[in-house]
This record gives sequence, structure tokens and C-alpha cells, in this order.
Amino acid sequence: MIKNLINKIKEFDSSADVEKRSNKLFGFAALYNTPNEVIEAAASVAGKGYQKFDAYSPYPLHGMDSAMGLGKTKVGYFAFTFGITGTFLALLMIGWMNGIDFQNIIGGKPFFSLPPSIPITFEVTVLLTGISATLGMLIIFNKLPKINSPLNDTDFMKNVTSDKYGIVINADDELFDENDTKNLLLSTGAYSIDNIYYRESNLTTKTPIFEKKFIMAIILTAIATAVISYFTLNWVLYDTQPFDWMWLQKRIDSQSESNFFPNKFGMREPVNGTVARGFMPYEYKGMPDSMVKLLSNPLPISKKVLERGQDRFNIFCSPCHGYQGDGEGRLRGQFPKPPTLHSEKVRNWTDGNIYHVITNGQNVMPSYAEQVSRDDRWAIIHYIRSLQRSHNASDSDLPK
Amino acid sequence: MRLREEREQEIMDKKDTGNILPASSDENQKEPNYWRSFRELYNDPEFIKERNLEFSKDETSPPDTNSLSRLSRRKFLALMSASAAVAAAGCSNYRDKGVLIPYNSKPESVTIGNPTFFASTCDGCSNACGLLIRTIEGRPIKVDGNPDHPVSKGKVCAIAQASVMNLYDPERLKNPVDRTDKGNPKDIAWGELDEKIIGALKSAAAGGKEISIVANSIISPTAKKVLDDFTVTYPTTKIYSYEPYGSETKNSAWAKCYGAGNYPPVQLDKAKIILSLESDFLISDGNKVEAARLFAEGRDVFTGKEFNRLYTVEGNASLTGLNSDYRLILRTDLIEDFVWCLLNEFLIKQRLSVFASDVNITSKLQNYSLEQFISANNLPKEVIGHLVSDLSKNPGTSIVIGGSLLPESTHIAINLLNEVLGSSKLYSKEKNVHQIPISTPSEIDLLISNLKSGKTGVVIHYDTNPVYDFAKEFGYADALKNAPLVITMAHIINESADAGNYVLPLNTMFESWGDFQPRNTFFSTQQPVIAPLYNTRQKEEILLTWAKGNKDAFKADLYHQYLMDNWKATVLSEFKNEAKFNNAWSAALNDGVVMSKSVASDVPMQFKNEAVASLNSRMTKNGDFVLLLTKSSTLGDGKHANNGWLQELSHPVTKVVWDNYAAISTQTSKSLGVDVNDLVKITTSSGELEIPVFIQPGIAEGVIAITSGYGRTVCGVVGKDAGFDSNKLLSKGTKLSPYLNNDVKVEKSSGSYDVITTQDYYPFDEPFYKDIQYEREIIQEGTYLQYKSDPDFLRREIHGEAKEEELEYGSINKQYKHTGVKWGMVIDLNKCTGCSECAAACNVENNIPIVGKDQVKKRRMMQWIRLDRYYSGTPEVPKANFQPMLCQHCDFAPCENVCPVAATTHSTDGINGMAYNRCVGTRYCSNNCPYKVRRFNYFNFRDRFRDGIQLEESYSLMANPEVTVRSRGVMEKCTFCLQRIMDERQVAIQENRMVKGSNVKTACQEACNSNAIYFGDQNDKDSDFYKFNNSNLGYHVLDDVKTKPNVTYIAKLKNVFETEKSEAHN
Amino acid sequence: MSFDSTYTKELPLVENNPTLRQIDDAILLPTQIKPLKGWWIALGLSATALLIGAVALGLTFYYGIGMWGNNQPVGWAFGIVNFVFWIGIGHAGTLISAILLLFRQKWRTGIARFAEAMTIFAVMTAGIFPVIHTGRPWLAGYLIPLPNQNGVWVNFLSPLLWDVFAVSTYFTISFLFWSIGLIPDIALMRDRATTKIKKTIYSVLSLGWTNSNRNWSNYERAYLILAGISTPLVLSVHSIVSFDFAVSVLPGWHTTIFPPYFVAGAIFSGFGMVSTVLIVVRKAFGLQHIITMNHLDTMNKILLATSTMVGYSYMMEFFIAWYSGNPFEMFAFANRVLGPYNWAWSIMVSCNVLIPQLFWFKKIRRSIPVTLVIVLLVNVGMWFERFVIIVISLHRDFLPSSWGIFYPTITDLSLLLGSFGFFFTFLLLFLKTFPLVSISEVKGVTEGAQPTIHLHPHSNGYPKEKA
Repeated sequence: MIKNLINKIKEFDSSADVEKRSNKLFGFAALYNTPNEVIEAAASVAGKGYQKFDAYSPYPLHGMDSAMGLGKTKVGYFAFTFGITGTFLALLMIGWMNGIDFQNIIGGKPFFSLPPSIPITFEVTVLLTGISATLGMLIIFNKLPKINSPLNDTDFMKNVTSDKYGIVINADDELFDENDTKNLLLSTGAYSIDNIYYRESNLTTKTPIFEKKFIMAIILTAIATAVISYFTLNWVLYDTQPFDWMWLQKRIDSQSESNFFPNKFGMREPVNGTVARGFMPYEYKGMPDSMVKLLSNPLPISKKVLERGQDRFNIFCSPCHGYQGDGEGRLRGQFPKPPTLHSEKVRNWTDGNIYHVITNGQNVMPSYAEQVSRDDRWAIIHYIRSLQRSHNASDSDLPK
Repeated sequence: MRLREEREQEIMDKKDTGNILPASSDENQKEPNYWRSFRELYNDPEFIKERNLEFSKDETSPPDTNSLSRLSRRKFLALMSASAAVAAAGCSNYRDKGVLIPYNSKPESVTIGNPTFFASTCDGCSNACGLLIRTIEGRPIKVDGNPDHPVSKGKVCAIAQASVMNLYDPERLKNPVDRTDKGNPKDIAWGELDEKIIGALKSAAAGGKEISIVANSIISPTAKKVLDDFTVTYPTTKIYSYEPYGSETKNSAWAKCYGAGNYPPVQLDKAKIILSLESDFLISDGNKVEAARLFAEGRDVFTGKEFNRLYTVEGNASLTGLNSDYRLILRTDLIEDFVWCLLNEFLIKQRLSVFASDVNITSKLQNYSLEQFISANNLPKEVIGHLVSDLSKNPGTSIVIGGSLLPESTHIAINLLNEVLGSSKLYSKEKNVHQIPISTPSEIDLLISNLKSGKTGVVIHYDTNPVYDFAKEFGYADALKNAPLVITMAHIINESADAGNYVLPLNTMFESWGDFQPRNTFFSTQQPVIAPLYNTRQKEEILLTWAKGNKDAFKADLYHQYLMDNWKATVLSEFKNEAKFNNAWSAALNDGVVMSKSVASDVPMQFKNEAVASLNSRMTKNGDFVLLLTKSSTLGDGKHANNGWLQELSHPVTKVVWDNYAAISTQTSKSLGVDVNDLVKITTSSGELEIPVFIQPGIAEGVIAITSGYGRTVCGVVGKDAGFDSNKLLSKGTKLSPYLNNDVKVEKSSGSYDVITTQDYYPFDEPFYKDIQYEREIIQEGTYLQYKSDPDFLRREIHGEAKEEELEYGSINKQYKHTGVKWGMVIDLNKCTGCSECAAACNVENNIPIVGKDQVKKRRMMQWIRLDRYYSGTPEVPKANFQPMLCQHCDFAPCENVCPVAATTHSTDGINGMAYNRCVGTRYCSNNCPYKVRRFNYFNFRDRFRDGIQLEESYSLMANPEVTVRSRGVMEKCTFCLQRIMDERQVAIQENRMVKGSNVKTACQEACNSNAIYFGDQNDKDSDFYKFNNSNLGYHVLDDVKTKPNVTYIAKLKNVFETEKSEAHN
Repeated sequence: MSFDSTYTKELPLVENNPTLRQIDDAILLPTQIKPLKGWWIALGLSATALLIGAVALGLTFYYGIGMWGNNQPVGWAFGIVNFVFWIGIGHAGTLISAILLLFRQKWRTGIARFAEAMTIFAVMTAGIFPVIHTGRPWLAGYLIPLPNQNGVWVNFLSPLLWDVFAVSTYFTISFLFWSIGLIPDIALMRDRATTKIKKTIYSVLSLGWTNSNRNWSNYERAYLILAGISTPLVLSVHSIVSFDFAVSVLPGWHTTIFPPYFVAGAIFSGFGMVSTVLIVVRKAFGLQHIITMNHLDTMNKILLATSTMVGYSYMMEFFIAWYSGNPFEMFAFANRVLGPYNWAWSIMVSCNVLIPQLFWFKKIRRSIPVTLVIVLLVNVGMWFERFVIIVISLHRDFLPSSWGIFYPTITDLSLLLGSFGFFFTFLLLFLKTFPLVSISEVKGVTEGAQPTIHLHPHSNGYPKEKA
């Protein structure tokens, strides 16, 4: 099986089938032995006014540019432009990121200052210069890659890459003429001239990259990778330590479950009979109102207290008792209507009495000890008193 | 198409013919002709054609599939469902956010996310400090002192701080175990157990066999009552009470000198001159919490009170000694002679007090002379001179304190000395109380002999571990083998439990009810803050059930009721009315303490001269070596050995963790030919022990000091085999005292053992290192006299004559200014004693993991506060400085500049913060921190230490939910207890006011026994903190590096006679 | 008095003057024949080292950085030491190519390609360490200024961030420099290729390069630009690496001399490593007439020069420490000589300063075995220089209370070994795949390679004007 494969590969490897050439002429390629010859040749070819010709040598020949009458190359300007852009991009990035978008106090230093930005600015400049010089030279100026250039895998090319020098005059030069050109090249002392023909593939314009299949394949792989990475990342980042950004904490947060206790309650009840600091149990719990005469309101009346009382009253009491305490609450009809707080009875109650009711609850009303803190209860009582007074105001209450 | 054209063509042809009439034929008339239209009627040929071609060609031909869309309906649905499936699967794979479990009915005291506090009492030792336990949603997470407590005044020791870990220790006993068959111990139900044991007890009582209860000192009146009830039911009961590393000799001496009672508390705050003889009262001797506080009150520069002066004469290098102003190094067994010499000085020479005329006493002093003593032991003459004059010049305000390990005779001499100096005024009127007197060695011997002779029927270890605690020469372990029934009550398996038949799991103090009366002036209450986590009971209720004689007597709140009834009868007896009593009881629980009505007796104590007169045995120098067994400040008597936090809390002086060792002086090490970590073999009459050597500067030649509590053989995985069992060297104490022995053989033994310190000291007397801490301005100190003459001397030393504004050095670019709140800390080195309470508290507050001995060895401690200890002088006569070192939250923090990902940055209120989740763990910040206070999670230590015991579920209950649990690869450090600052901010927002600095207390500040740490807002001009922060003794460590720290240290003032700092420290 | 002529006259760059085709054959030989036994052994060794390193790395990832010896005072140790060491080595390559190119030093052609390759592999090796030394390497992306869920950007004040930019830039530029240098040679290999697969691969790699003069002129310009920017780059990169230390407050790190000191050191170690490997390679591949004794001689001279600079820096550090009167500085340097790590310090000084002084003698410069020993010692010494700077400065800094000591673990050592394995594996593979000397450049500097005449376009080829 594998043997076959290997054999196949070997076979394919050794099959030296060169691509068929069309009969369209690309140009004449002349070979020379010494640098001087090729320089002279190039000079005279250029002198004749040929434009579309080029000289070939295993290594750059000094003076060939002038012999061919070439101008200066533009690579430098190209790279320079990019380099300068890099400088400003870098400064812009640093200034915006640390100076504007997300300001951090770091060592008490200013958010943006030039000196520490210099190294990075320099590096970015260099980076862009280098990349642009290289890619610009290859792609824009030298039109590379052109793997299937007609000159490649010709004997001419084999020679000029190794130890000979050559000149190629393209057929599409307007001065090009089969005989004159050949004569010219002969006159410059070329020891061999051969005709280079285009490859079949040079003439067809179709590029493989826009093949429908190719694009489909790319899209499919994209989707596949997306889905796979989505699942794996979810698994890694949320379920596996230590990659989980400390999401799995060895502690019990509020209202979260704990596997330690069989009932999974992370939040525990205090033990019966214990007394937490500042939470003396309500001593008259479950006792008749008669006993709570002694209880008096510790809070002094003040605007703040009244406002607090109103706030709590509107939150906790008004649903049943109504904002006015007259029993016209929002829950009318869903619950038995509570008696008004302006009745003779309630007005004659001591504060302690009301406190007792709020804390203990009575009839349908449950205890509000859990929801309303002790001070708030007294504040609510003050507010209720003010409500009562407002509802049965006497002349004496009127401002003089 | 074409067909239709033809047809039309034909029709046209027809038209041409003109023959459009119906062709009438005869055969057609045979049957009736039903026609539907006239054209049919007339047989219109074109109609006939139309009829034949009802469907035109293109309609009848099958549809052309190629012209249809490729995507069929089926395919479309398939794709849709597939993508839907993918989406669904994808979403199902999102992080599991868990479930919310709210309260069914929220307790009134709990506000979710806010702490609730419970007042309780610590049962870690017999000092019974008051606790204020911080619980969050019903889970205790932190222990602090109860500020209302008259003795501890809101402070507790490291043991109490770390005690939360005892509650959540996964290795706690979870069920009663029947170990009768040693091979396979099996769990047993309480009921069954009670039945069996009650039976055994009854038969034992009937058979006149002794029922021995071995208990620690009982300081709970109600527990005492339980024991009485038990004794009533089982008359043969005998109770043995012992206190490992307690102060028996001190108390017996006291009893001899003053008739009865125990050695009373000392009012250190009133003392001007304190002479400590081998007493480490600042860390481990007596009630450390009280002593440290009172001592520090005498050294507060801000109150303007006169400083006290502390002299120490000791053989061991104790924390107290190294904190003292003058420290004299003297072999421990010479101390008694020294006291006699002083007495001779005061009575014979100065004829100071009435005792001078008592011949019985003076006769004993004849052959002592201070001068000779000084020259014999080449003590610094001038220092002794200061001491003598100080003592005689300050009658009534000077006190001599003897170490608990000194023999009775020495204590008698010391008591006499205090009488002579009139220092007895400083004895507090309140008395230390033991409900049951501590058993004498002879009583213990009786217990053993009863066991041996089979007189004992049942042995009950009442939450004690005598097999480990008792001196081996008692031979308790062997004797126990003869006991038919041994019952051990314990939290974690221990040596005694291992030797017994039944092991009964106990509640921790967080799950128990109780009351305590450590002193006659008050009672303190203990209440559970969480229901028992496991199938455990508290020891009182177990005994109570047995006392009641049937197993069904047990109820959930048995002891709770019993306690209340007892209080109704005794402490709160004046509240007859039910409601009144309930109120008073609740008030007691709320406060945690009730002052007792029986006020301290004011009758002056009469010193009995015959105590001295009849004194015949004396401690005299003998042999080459003196062995001191000192109480460990972290593990106590070894009860807390399984608490990793305590194991990893370094020894305050030597900084050793996870081990004890034989501390010896350099000369001794030379004479023995041993070096650090070499094993030596110590042999006494009571036993022998192989233990590594640690060379401790400042120990007297020939003195060998070993701390207690290590070398537990049967214990949890944390404490097992940590250190060496010093109890092997305990003696009955008949000769000197159990903890002091000068009849010792020491020889070098083969092999060595790694003793690990968190801070190893360099040869600090070599010129290369000499006084490096002063040269680098890490430690600034002066003398008290210097300060009094020139309060600004330090500021001048540091900044020269520069004015405040000149000190504001500029910079090339404008720096960030913190307006508004700016947090800061002040640490008063005059008060700081170097005990590691702050570190212990920080561990608990900030979820700091235990890293284990091997990682400490690699210097990867995680504790956020380091207690730095610096030596100067010579290894023989060293001086020491202590300095808590934590993140300084520098304004110009070097760590922030270098973090590439901006994970550590400054907040606007001046805190240097860590964004844990941004940290990638380049340890650059740590490298660039001049104070090296950053800690890096080199591993997931929770996972690494002891096979990940810290990952047990129970430990996650202990973690402070307000603090992130850091993962591996993350840098961390002190945050100034940011979570507490945030709480204050939240409250401030609710109350619509500015944040107030004084409302925030950091964990270390709360814990500091001597109130040496202040925290607050530096910009709050009219706060106390502002005064501290700008004190003229304040300085910043490494001021030259110009990091502008926000932690200010108050320079230490030595209360010595020199007026120059230089002389003060060399 | 008569000069020894070798100091005055330019020595031949390619000995006994071969034809161009002989040069092709000689240089391309290793890429065409089957690997030699020695090569296989070498590869085996380096691959094993690489494997060991990989295992150590796996352990580090699984358990955490705790597997290393790093601890509380010594937050950086082997990880960063190796990083700086390899970055340093990476400097010779680009330096030789770029600076010598700018100075028109023709002798560079023999060694440039090889040195550049070393640069790239060394920088690759170095680049591993900053990533793996972090506590949470999987978050190393935070070091790049990209938008993230924290909304926070990187801290541009941190030298470590400058490092990220510097090293990545340095790698990119060096890689481009090296790879465009390769293009013409690959074109040559393409045309010499006999089998189809090789041919296809080479023609793709050569981008279909035809040695046309119009391409040559752009090519040379681009090459010159790269050389021009790499020269300051080389200097900047190690300066920035030195900022990691110079910008901190730590005594022993906080020094203004660091940038030049580090650059000199980098060149020193770089040349050390280059000649170490070259001496072996030229023997193994029989390239003595292309990488000639004169090359080695010149490199030894540079080694001597840089070693002296490094020595000067050492002295200057001590002088400044004493001159500053700053107790921390003084102690830090006293501690290097007297402290527990003084053995490391003495290794550093002897290997970097004392021993290379032997190169004053021409005999030693031109004796291969002695040179080999010395350059090996130079490598060791330079590794220890970084160890001295990083570990010794850290282990005893401001507060004596936090002083500590650092012991390397097995993991540390195997990672160091692995880094060598990584480097040499790549190097060996390179030797077999690409010409290790730039053929086109060597051809360009052979006798009579360049035209002797200078012409401009003219209608009649004659009479020619001599250049």
C-alpha cells in the first residue's frame, strides 16, 4: 500500500515532462561569457532604442544599470512613506490608548508622555519600513511571484543563474524585428541566441484562486474551525482550571449552593436562642398588646427621620394600608381591607403598641421584623403619627 | 407552439371555404344530441380540434428539473434543523451560573452580604478571652476580640484568630467511633454509645471502681456543676485537672507566700520599672493578650505618658527579652541566686523594708553578694547599677515578674522581692479562678497507681490528650493499658484517643454553649454561631446525659437549658420574672460578659515570712546545660497542631515554621561541635530526644530552649510529624519545675534535619553586614531621653533643616495628586512587640493559602504581612528590632511602572491595586518592589499542599466571600483590606455622606494586641490619624528610593540612660 | 622595520580562485548529497535535548512556574537569563550582515548567510522564554495592545512591553533580510534541480526569480534599506532588553551604562557563537576555501575588541557604584564579589575578559583548536554574565529581611538544555536544506566577477570608453 504510494511519488518525481510551449514568441535570449561583453551588448541594445529588454547575470553587475540606461529605483521612496506612517501610527496608538481611552494612574506619572513612547515608536517605524521595502520590491517593483515566466526552465535561465550572462529582448518591443534584432544580438558577440516561446499557461488568463470549489472549501473549513474552537473554548475557559479566569472560586457567595451541606443551603440559619450583636430578641414577642405600654419611641423626630419613615411606609405598608394609611391600598379586594390608621383606637395607641403590631403582626398582617429594621419601624411610627395628625388637624396646627 | 400555429392556419383555410353550417347527417339523429354550446351543436371543426387539444403541449410535458432551485425543501429543512441543533448545543455549553438559594424566611439578624457579629468566648486556653465572631450568612469566617471584655478588651491571640480553621478542618471527627477492636474502628450511634457507657459507668460505680475524669483546668462554673452532678450519680468519680505549660509553680509559691489563691494578674500599665526574669509575658507566659496591651500602654508616645523601662534577665532569647531596654544574659539556673543577691542588696545593704529586721530572712541572705555575683558572671556592672537604683527609687511602681517555668523556690524569692520593693501594690485585686484545683504531681501519681492496680474502672479524657501531655516518667501510656474502659472526647484523633476504646467527637467553640469565669470579677458567655457541622456533641452535654443516667435524656438543647437554669439560679438570680430573666440572659449573650456582683476583696494580702524561712531547697547552678521547655506561642500545648495557619505562622524570634528545635548559643554549638540543622541527643532523667540544633543569637551559654506542642504522632495530616515531641523531656517537676532541668546530657548525634526559617539571619557582626538596617534607614530609633530633650531629632536626622514644603521634591513631569480620601497606615514600633497576630488575622481575612514546609524552604510564603526581625551587636549579645512589613502602597509605586499589562495600578484614593484577572504573572513588579512585599502564586498551593486538603468542600465555607481566591500564576499582595473600605463606601453612599477614614479598620489593626497599627485618611486634617501620620517620630522605610510610601513607621525609642541613638544600638 | 604584510594588504576572500560553477558545486553539495553520518548523530543529540526541554516545558505548564527555582526575592532566574543570552547570540547575524554591508566589508559574504540563519533561530529560541516564564502563559496575548474583555490597554511605560515590540520587530526584519538573500540562490537550486518535486518546491520558494538586471537593481536597493534599518534595530533591541533592568529601581540593575554594555556583550556573545559553529561547519562541509582562516582571524579580532569593551563596562559598574556613594549600589556590587554567588562572578570575569585577551597573539587567533576552546568559554561566560546581573542583583536587594538564595531545579536545567536543542535542531535542518553561504554574493566578489568597463547606452558599440 505505502510502497505503491512511494513508487507513485517516485514515478511522478522522475517524470521530467516540461510544460508545452506555444508557438507565440516571447523574445530572443542571447548568452555571453564575460561581464564586459554583456555590458557592451546591453549598452548597444539600449542605444538602439529598445525598451523591453533586460540583462541577466548570476549576481548583480555593477554598471549594468547605466549601460542599460535605467533610472534610479523607487523602492526607497516607497519604504520611506510607510516608515513615516508607522511613526505617526505608533504615537497615535500610545497617546489614545493610555492617554485618552483608558486612563490609569501608574506610578503617579502623567497618562501620556513622550520619552517612554520613543522605543515603541521607533520599532514600529522600522517594522513598517522593512516590510514595505521587501514586499514593495518583490511584488510591486519586480512583479513577483511569476513562477511560470516563459524564461524559467529554459537552458538560458539555467546558464544565467549559474555562470553565464545574457540579454533578452522581448518580442513585444515595437522595434522588435526577427532579423534585425537577431543581427544586433549577433553583432554584440553573443555566443548563442535562442528563441523563447510563451508557455500555454501564459496565454490563458484563468487564475485558479477564483475556482468555485476552492472558495467553497475555504468557507467550509472556516465554519468548521469556528464551530470547533467555539465548543473547545467554552469548555476550556469556563469549566477547566486554571484557564477559567478564576470563575470557579473556592468560597460560598451569597445565596449560592454548597455541596457540603446535604440540603445545599450555602446560607445558614443562626442557632436558636443565640443573640447576634445589636439584635436583642423582641422581648414582648407573642404577648398581648397590654404589656407593651412601657415601650417608647427612641428616635427623635426630625425631617430626616420622617422622610425615612415615609419612604419605608410607602414601600412596606402602603400596599395594604394605602399611602394615606386609610386602608385604600393597591391590594384592595385581593386581601381583606385593613382598618384605617386614623381610627380613634389606633390614634390612642402608644407608639409601643404600633411597634408591637409591626414586629409581631396581628390578624392577617404578618410580622415585618425581617424586612423592616428596628430603627425603620420607629421611623415609620413617627410618619404614621404625622399622617394621623394631618388627617385630623385642628386649628392649632395651622401656621399662624 | 407550432401546433397552435398550424391550427390557426387551418382555421383560416376553413374560412376561405365559407362552409360553416352544421353538417346534418341521418345517423346523427338516431340518438338525442346533447350539445353544450352552439359551436358544438354545429360541430364546429375548429372547436373539435380545440377539444382534442385541450392541454397544450408545454402544459402536459413533465417539468424541467434543471430550471428549478438546487436547494430542495427537504435540504433546506435539514440545514435549518442542523444549524438550530448546533446553536442549541452551543448555548447549552455556556458556563453554568449555578442556582440561587435564598432564605426561606430570612433571620432578622442577617442581611445578605453583610456580616453579623456574635459575642462569645474562646476556649483555646484557660485565659478565656472574649470573642466577637464575624459571620456572613450564618457562616463564621473570622474571629476578633470582644471590645466589651474587661480583660482582652477586643483583642485575641493568633490561636483564636486561626481557630476558624479548627471548625472547618475536614479531618475533624465526624461520628463517635468504637475502637474496642483496634483492628477495625467502626462508627457507632450516639444512642447505642450512651447506653453502653452508662452501663459501664453504673457497674463501675457499683463495683467501687474509680471513674477518673482527666480534664484541663475547669474555668466554667456550669461545667463544674455538670461534673458535680456526674459525681453525684457516680460517687466513685475522681476529677484530675492539669494545665500543660501552665504556671503551677508560680501558683503554689503564691499559695505558700500568701496563704491561698493563685498568682494574680499584674497591672503592667501602672508599672514604671519592669524586671522580667526568664518570663516571656509578651507572647506566651500568662495572659499574653492583656500583658501586651498593658505593656504597650506604657510606651505610647502620643499619650505623652512617661515610658516604662523593661529590664530582662534571662537565659533564653525571648521576644520579651529582645523587646526590653536592658537585657542581661544569665544562665537560667543562676537567676535564683541573682534574686537573692538583689534581696541581699536591698535588705542588708539598703535595709529597705520591714523584712530587713526579720532575722529568719536576713540570715538566709548573708552569703550572697551582688558585687561578687556580677564579677563571677561578668554582667555589665553599670546596667545592674541602673537596675538597683531604678528598683529602689520607684517603690510601688516597679514589678519583678518571674517566668512560669522557674521553680517554686525562685518564685517565693521573687514574691519576697516584690514585697520588699512594695510592688505588691501592682497586683490586681481580681483573682485568677480555677473551679477545680490543679492536680499536684502526687495526685497524678495516684491516678497512675490506681490504673496500674486495676482500681480504676473507667477513664474519661475530657477533651484532653494526657498520653501526649503528661511527662513520660509518669508512665501514663502504659498504665492506661490496664484500664477496662477508656473514653476520649476530642475534636481530632489524638494519641490518647488512639489508646482508648471510645472516641467521642466534640463540638468546636463555634458550635457550643458555655460560660466562663477566668477571674472572679466577671462571667463571660459562649454561644454557638452555627449548628454542629457533623454528628458531634459538646462535652458538657455528653457528661450531662450520662449524669442523668439514661440515653434518652439527651435533647438538642440539653446543655443550653441547663446553662440558662444554672444562670437563673446563680449569676442572674436577681431576675425572678421570666421576661426579665430572658431579657437579662439575652443581654448577657449580646454583650458576652456579665460583671459579677461579688466585687474584688480589698483586704491587703499578708506575706508569710515563714514561706521564706522554711525554704530549704534552692535552685543552684549544676552541670553544663540547662534545658528550658517553653510554651509555643502558636501551637500552645500542641492542641492546635493540626491548624496549618498556626503551623506556618513563624516563631516571633527565630522565624522558624513547621518545626521546633533546640535553640543554643554559638559558644555552645562550638563546644558541642554542631552546626545548624545537626541532630543532637538530649537526655534527662525523664527521657531522651533527638532534635535538630538552631543557633540563636543571645542565648546564654549552656542553655537549650525547646518550644512545646510539636511532634504529634497521632494527628491529622497537617500536624502529623511536624517537629519533635518536647514532652519526652518533661519531668514531674519534683526537683526544679517540670519545664526546667539542669541535669541534662547533650551529645552530638548523627544525621541532620532541615529547620526552615522565613528569614535567615546573616553574620550581622561582620563589617560587611554590620548595622545594615540602620545605614539603609530601614530602622530608625532613638532614646526616650533624646526625644524628651528634642522631639524633632529624627526629622532633623533624616531631612536636615529642610522645611515641610522643601521636602516636596519636584519631578520632570507633573505627578498625580490624590485629593479627597487618601488611605494610609501608621505603625508604632514602640508598641509593636513583633508577635505575629497581625499576620494571623490577615491570613483569615484575605483567604491566604497554606503553602507547606517545602515551599517555605523555597521562600514562597504567601502571608501578606512579614514580621521583619533585624539583629545588631554581636551573636553573643545581640539587639533586635522588629518591623511589620506590608505593601507600602507607594504614591510612585515602582511595581506599577513595570507591569506590561497594567494589572497593578493606583486608585484615586491612593491604594495600589491588583487586577488579579489581568495579571499574566511576569514577576517584574515583585522584582522592582524595594520592599519585596508582593507574593506570587507559584503553584495552586491549595491543590499542592498535602494532596489538596485545602480544596476540601468544608474549607470553601471558611473563605471570606468578599475576597477573591487567587488562582495559580497570579501576583498578589496586601490590599489595605479593600473589601472593608468598600463596605464603608457603600454605607457612606447609603447615608449620603463622605467616606470617613476612622470607620475603616483593617484586619491587622483589629488584631494588633498592643494597638500599634493605625489606619485612616491622610487628607482628613482633623482626625487622630492625621496627628499620628505627621508625628515628628514618623519616617518612611527606604526614604531615599523616593517611592513615597503611604505606610509611616513611628521610630522606636529605647528607654535607656544614654541620650544618643548611636549608643543605644551598639 | 617591516610590517607583516597580512595586516596591510586585503586578503583574498575566496581562496585558490575557483570558477563560478565550482562555487555552485561546492556550496550546494551538502544540500544535494545524502546526509552524512555525523549530521545524523548531531541531529539525534540536539533532538534529544529538544525533547527533554519539551518535557520540562510540559511539566511547567501543568504544575506552574513553581517547578522552577524562582522564589520571593528572585522573581526572575533561568527563564530571563536564557532569554537575554539567546537574544544576545542573535545579534551577531544581523550585525555581520547589515553593518558590514554598510561598511562595504566584502569579507562578510562568506559568513553572512549563516550568521543570519543563526540570528533567526536564536531569536526564535529567545522568544520562547518570555512567554513560558509568565505565570499564566495562556494569557500572553494581553501583552499585545488588542481590545479585550477587561477594556484596559497595555501599559506603554513598561520596558517589558517595549521588549515585546523590539523582539518581534527584530525577528521579522531579520527574517525578511535572510529570506530575500536566499531568493537568488533558491532560483539557482531550482535550475539545478533534477527531480520534479524539488523543482516545484524551489520554483515556488524562489517566486520565479529571474536574475534580470531590472530586478537586481530593485533587489539591491531593498537589501540596502533593510541593512540600513537593521543596524539601528540591532542596537535598539539589546538596548531595550537592557532597559528591562536599567529602568527598574533595583541596585545592580538601575544603571545608565546598561544599553551600550548590553550591546557590546550581545555582539561579543554573538560572534562567540558564530565562530563556535562555523569552525565546526566549515570543517564538516569542506568549505575551508570559502570560509577562510582570514574570516576566523577577523572575527577573533572583533571578539577581542568587544571583550575589552565588556571588561570596561564591568569596571565602570564598580567604579560608579563606589563613586555614587549609594549604600545599596555599593553593597550590590560588593555582594557580587564577596557574596554567596561570587563563583558565578569569577566565571564571568575570567571567561569574558581575561581569557579572550589571548587573542592579542596572532598565533592563537589563527589556531583553530585554541580559538574553539576560547569561544566556547566565551559562550559560557556570557551566559553567566546574565546570571550575575539578574540573580545576584535580585537575591539581596534593599531589605536584608527579604534576602534569599536561588537554587535551579532539574526543570530549569532541562529547559536550558532544551533551548540548545531547539536552536541546533533548526540549524542542522537549515544546513541540509539551504546553501549556508550566499552563492550570488560570493560570486560577486570572486576575481574578475565585476566588469572592468563602464558604459552608457550608445548607438554604435564601438569605440568603447574605458571605465
